Amino acid sequence: MKNFFFTILIFNSILFSQEKNHLTNDSLFSPYNIKRFADFLYCQKDYLRAADEYVRYLGLIPNDTIEFKIALSYSLMNNYDEAAKRFNSIKESSSFYQPAQIQFLKSLFQSGNYVQFRNKYSHGTPLNDSNDCGGVASLYMFSFLLTDEPLPNEDEFLMKFPALEKIQMKSFYDWKKNPPEKSSIIAAIFSTIIPGMGKIYTHDYSDGIFAFISTLGAGYLAYDNFKAGHNFRGWIFTGLTAGFYGGNIYGSAAAAQIYNAHIRFDFINDLETYLEDNNYFLKIFNFCK
Amino acid sequence: MKNNQFIFTIILSFALFISFNSFAQTDWVKWGKADFSYQIKNPVEQRNYSFDLSNPERLVLKSLANAYWFFISDVDGDNCAFNPTCSNFFIQSVEKTNIVQGFLMFFDRFTRDMDIFGKLNHYPRVPDGHFYDPPSLYLLDIHFINYIPPSVIVKNE
Repeated sequence: MKNFFFTILIFNSILFSQEKNHLTNDSLFSPYNIKRFADFLYCQKDYLRAADEYVRYLGLIPNDTIEFKIALSYSLMNNYDEAAKRFNSIKESSSFYQPAQIQFLKSLFQSGNYVQFRNKYSHGTPLNDSNDCGGVASLYMFSFLLTDEPLPNEDEFLMKFPALEKIQMKSFYDWKKNPPEKSSIIAAIFSTIIPGMGKIYTHDYSDGIFAFISTLGAGYLAYDNFKAGHNFRGWIFTGLTAGFYGGNIYGSAAAAQIYNAHIRFDFINDLETYLEDNNYFLKIFNFCK
Repeated sequence: MKNNQFIFTIILSFALFISFNSFAQTDWVKWGKADFSYQIKNPVEQRNYSFDLSNPERLVLKSLANAYWFFISDVDGDNCAFNPTCSNFFIQSVEKTNIVQGFLMFFDRFTRDMDIFGKLNHYPRVPDGHFYDPPSLYLLDIHFINYIPPSVIVKNE
């Protein structure tokens, strides 16, 4: 019996050696130490584990700064859907309500949820984001450049941007209003008139030249074989000529579509780079002093 | 006293037995011998020479492609600059569209394949160095066009 109690005692002292009172700062898992550890992780940019520790802390002591930091952690990890959800859950009574709402809208924008972003911005409470670098009002207008919805008129669009940005924004606006796209029909017509011309129209110069050479080359071989009385070979080359000619007309129409996809891709890239370079999503909150 | 010790030993042994079995490692597959080969995959071996008997049009085209693969391409080697290769592009084009459109797509691809100057800055590449040029870009439907810049290496074709 003595051995039994002795064993129990040893087990207990090993298992619960670290478990003192949860509420004293001596315990590793006291709220104070959890927060210190979470702050450390946050400042080390280990946002995933920091968010976990902040959630653990929040389970013990409610705190709106911590709620904001959790949301910020998700935002800094580019998990914008979760960040938006967390920012939006911060209550109106909190001193972080205004910045949280601004970050909520920015997170919606960054997650690509432009329709919801515009709805929330238009119907939500007015925000005082004058101190916020890259205002939400500018992002609201920016969102029209990233979707296929009709643009607002030019004056209304440019009004939301600071004077320094107006020239660049006007060029983006003009691009979106009249994108320098190529027409598939015109490309096909050009290639019908002169083989390869449609490819040159879509800036695929060497493709156009090779299409011209192959069509003309096959056509000449067909003509030459017919002239020499080799009718079978003549018909083979006639078929090839027709294939190259038709294929080039078809390919020119497709090339125009690919060209348009290419310039749209570059435009979106330029917009994203512009937003990045102009600190639209800069996190101005410094919790790591 | 001896009796108590015996009971305690039994209980302890039972507890140990239960815990060993409860927490025993079960994911042996993870730690098993990996069946891994360092041989470079030969695209010829991956070719599907089977015939599709579902419709005569497909049967004729697949026979042509199989004949080309067997008598010309397999002997000539892996020389097409593109992925999918021109013959595979042709088969996929016909599968995705129809025979006329498939032929037009093939001739366009064949012309682009002859262009020895324009490929470098025009197509992205797959890890083995071939230019990635799927038929989905040429279906004349903008919804299927997923533009990939030439600087990108396409890993999941």
